[in-house]
Parts: sequence; structure tokens; C-alpha cells
Amino acid sequence: MSARRARIGDAPQEADPHIMQRIAKGEIGALGELYDRHRVPVHRFVARVTGHAEDVDDLVHATFLTAAKSAAKYDGRAACRPWLIGIAAQLVRRRRTAFVRFLAAIASATGQRATSVDPRATLDARSDIEKALTGLTEAKRMTLLMAEVEGLSCQEIAEALGVPIGTVWTRLHAARKEMRAAMEGTS
Amino acid sequence: VSTCPRRFEAEAMRDGRLGDAERASFERHTAGCAACAQEVAALEDLAEALREGGASADDLHARRERTRLLAAFDRELVTPPRPSPARRVLWPAAVALLVVGLFAFWRSRPPAFELPKAPSASVVVPVNEAVWSKRPDGEREKIVLERGELLIRVHHGAGERPLLVVLPDGELEDTGTTFTVTAEHGRTVRVAVEEGSVVLRLRDREPITIRAGAEWSAPSRPPAATPPHSPTEPTAPAAATRSAPAAAAPPPSGASPPLASSDFRAAMAALDRGDNAGAAAAFASFAARHPRDARAEDAAYLRVIALQRVGDVAAMKEAARDYLVRYPTGFRSAEVGRLSP
Repeated sequence: MSARRARIGDAPQEADPHIMQRIAKGEIGALGELYDRHRVPVHRFVARVTGHAEDVDDLVHATFLTAAKSAAKYDGRAACRPWLIGIAAQLVRRRRTAFVRFLAAIASATGQRATSVDPRATLDARSDIEKALTGLTEAKRMTLLMAEVEGLSCQEIAEALGVPIGTVWTRLHAARKEMRAAMEGTS
Repeated sequence: VSTCPRRFEAEAMRDGRLGDAERASFERHTAGCAACAQEVAALEDLAEALREGGASADDLHARRERTRLLAAFDRELVTPPRPSPARRVLWPAAVALLVVGLFAFWRSRPPAFELPKAPSASVVVPVNEAVWSKRPDGEREKIVLERGELLIRVHHGAGERPLLVVLPDGELEDTGTTFTVTAEHGRTVRVAVEEGSVVLRLRDREPITIRAGAEWSAPSRPPAATPPHSPTEPTAPAAATRSAPAAAAPPPSGASPPLASSDFRAAMAALDRGDNAGAAAAFASFAARHPRDARAEDAAYLRVIALQRVGDVAAMKEAARDYLVRYPTGFRSAEVGRLSP
């Protein structure tokens, strides 16, 4: 099994900067390659940050489309996954601002509380870690995932979210503290 | 655990808040301080748990989403950028001047030779309600085929433009030929070349050159008992079979009889209502009864997820291995591979 997987993994793979150059020239196939390569982490990030909201697919779609439109400005870093995650984070933040306004309008009009949460999240949030993650605010959850799962530096997170680096440090500290408290409470 | 006044530095070090000297100092300190060493380990444990989580079965529409993304990008490419107000005024004037200049130049020079033919355009004949579009793309001509069959003829000429056919799972490059390409259920199933040659590039496969008179057919989905590299599923380079008669080619996978659909719906319903054991059995049954259905890979994958939710680790790993054997380059092979180390 491992030998076979290693053989598959050994296949020569085009570097991300080359793919971005091809996308900048308008090659649709190159965008398909970028999507195939990074869809899973981007989708996973967006799904976890938004609590598996119904518009996860649309956010992932918008992330890759935004990346394609900005391909000519790509800074040439070896792996573009952090860059894609940064775009996704910005889109989630913008969507949240608009979405909160929309929910507030609905709530005031109907007197009810609307929700966008997919019922499948109940199934997916089966582990303690996912439950604890769900308990964080979206800002803390996003910051923690960007740092610990996606491997972005605090400076990169600050630039992507448009906040001071001190805010990133504060959110990370609070998020870890709450996560550990929640995990200890369930164990 | 005893406390240590330097314990907070564990998180500071992790977040890059320590300078080189401070970091080296803390690392030396950690070697002899149990409290700080435990804090460093606890932070890493949390990160490791976060990295392991997040698996989701909610990516069934990934292939469709891929096609939607490529189509959206294609539309973006052909939509002209909105000019700035200044350009809006200047461009018409510049174009008018250019037209006048060219006309004057043309009138002043009698034709000394016959003008070459305009860059050739391809002729596309859709078959079987094909869903496709054709747009110029810089120096190339681009055809996007979502599904169905196209007969394409590219005229030869001095000014011909290369042709690129964008497929749901790859692309096909041509420089002047006549060929037929068919895509169904999100993948390319057949390419037949009458003259010239084409290069077929499919995801996760080596490029395949198909020459005049040759036909390439997608390998059929292997049945349940078929080993991964049996002759019925050749590897990519060998898949370009020469002159394989069209009638002998297997029917495109993905033909979904009503029974298959109802079986799949029943399995999904079991999964949705939390009957994970029943869902695992139903997906296994589906994969065995409908191995060539387009959803067979989904079924194999969802069986793994259902068993994971049941908590039967051994059965889950066995199902994961089964998935990887059947679909070694499958759409979810990376995710399933992590479940079956």
C-alpha cells in the first residue's frame, strides 16, 4: 500500500508558480490543476471556519476564481496554499459582514432567528476537537486554523485578515485557552 | 505540575514572538523544566488534533464544482474589462484613426499578391445534445465541452490557430485535424481521430498522443473482484489503443438504471438518518451490484465514512484499502489514504 502510494506521489508535479503563470495566460486547464491540488484543504478550511454553512461551495468557488483573476499578481512563493487560504479568509470575513446584516434584517422582519448551518454539521462535528472548535468565535476559529492547520505565520494571518499582529497573537492565545478548557471538560 | 514563570514563552515561541537568542535560551530551559516541556507538548498536541480533524463527506459535488469553476473562469476570460472613463473617450477616436489610416494605406497600394486566407476556424458538429461553447482565446481557439459528443474539423492553413478543447477532466490539444470527442458524467470517455493527431491530457494521467485512425476509450470502472492493474483497466500511456472499433468499446460508465438510483438513494437515506451500519452495508451492496455506475466511487468512499462513524476501525480500514485498490488515483484517494495508513 505504502509503496504504491509512494509511486503515485513520485509522479512529477508542476510547481505552483508555473501553474499560476499559465492561469495568468488564460489556460483553463491550469486552473483545473490548481483546483485539483488545493480543493481539499481550501474546502476543509472554509467548512470548518463557517461551521459547514450552506454556502461553503460558493465560497470555495469564489476563492479559486479570485485567485485566477489575481494570478498575474501572484508573488511567486513556492506553494500557493497559504495564499489561497488568505483569499478564502478574506471572502469569509466579507461574507460574514454582509450575512450578519442579512440575518438581522430577517430577524427583525419575522421575529425569528435564521440560521445557515447545515444539519450535516451535527454529524461531522462528531469529535471533541470539532465540538470545541465550534464553540469558538469565528474570528478565533479562523485565526487558529490558519496558524495551526494551514501553517500561516502570524504576520501572514495579520495581512490576510487586515488586523494588527498583536490581535492575531491575542486571538491565538484565547482560542488555545478555550480549546484546552473545552477538551479538558469533555475528557 | 509545578508552575514556571517562563511557561508563557512556550506559546510565544510557537507564534514567532521570540527572537533567536530568546528562543535558544528557552529551548535550553525547556530541556530541564518539566512544566515548560509539558506546555510545549500540550500546544503541539492541540495543533496535531486540529490537523487530524476536519474530514468531511460533504464533497460529493466536487467534480461538478470543478466544471462550474472552469466555466466561470472561461466567461471571465471572454468578458472585456470595463474601460476607464478616459479610455472610454479615447478608444473610439483611436480606433477611428486606425481605420482611416488602414483604409488610406490599402487604397495607396494595389494588391501585388493574393492575400492569404484568414486564420482558419474549426468546424464543430455537436452530437447527442452536447453542451459546449466555443470562444477565441488569444492565439488559440478554445472549445469547452461539458458533456455530449463533438465532431471537430480544423482546417489547415498558413495562419491556423492551435485548438484547445477543455474537457471536464482535462484538455485536448490539436493543431489541425478531424476528430470526435465524447464526455459524459464529468469525464472524457472517447476520442477518435480521423486525420492529423491530438494530445489528450487527463487529470492524474500521462499525456496521450492519438494519431489518425486511432481511437481512445476511457477505461471502464473495474468490477468489484477485478484487481487494480488487470488488462481491463490499462494504465494511461497504454490506453491509447490503435484502431479499436467503436462498436467494441465498452458503453460509457455512468449509465444509471433506475434500480441503481433507488439503491443509492436508500444508502444515502440511511447515512442521513444516522443508520451508519445500515448505510455501510447498503453502499457495499451498491458497489457490488453496480460497479460501473458513475456513483460507484462515491459509494466506496461513503462506505468508509459510514464505517468510521460506526467506530469499527478495522472494517473502516479494510473499506479504505478496498477504495484505494479500486480507485488508486480516485478523487478522494488522498483523504482515504489518511484513514488507512
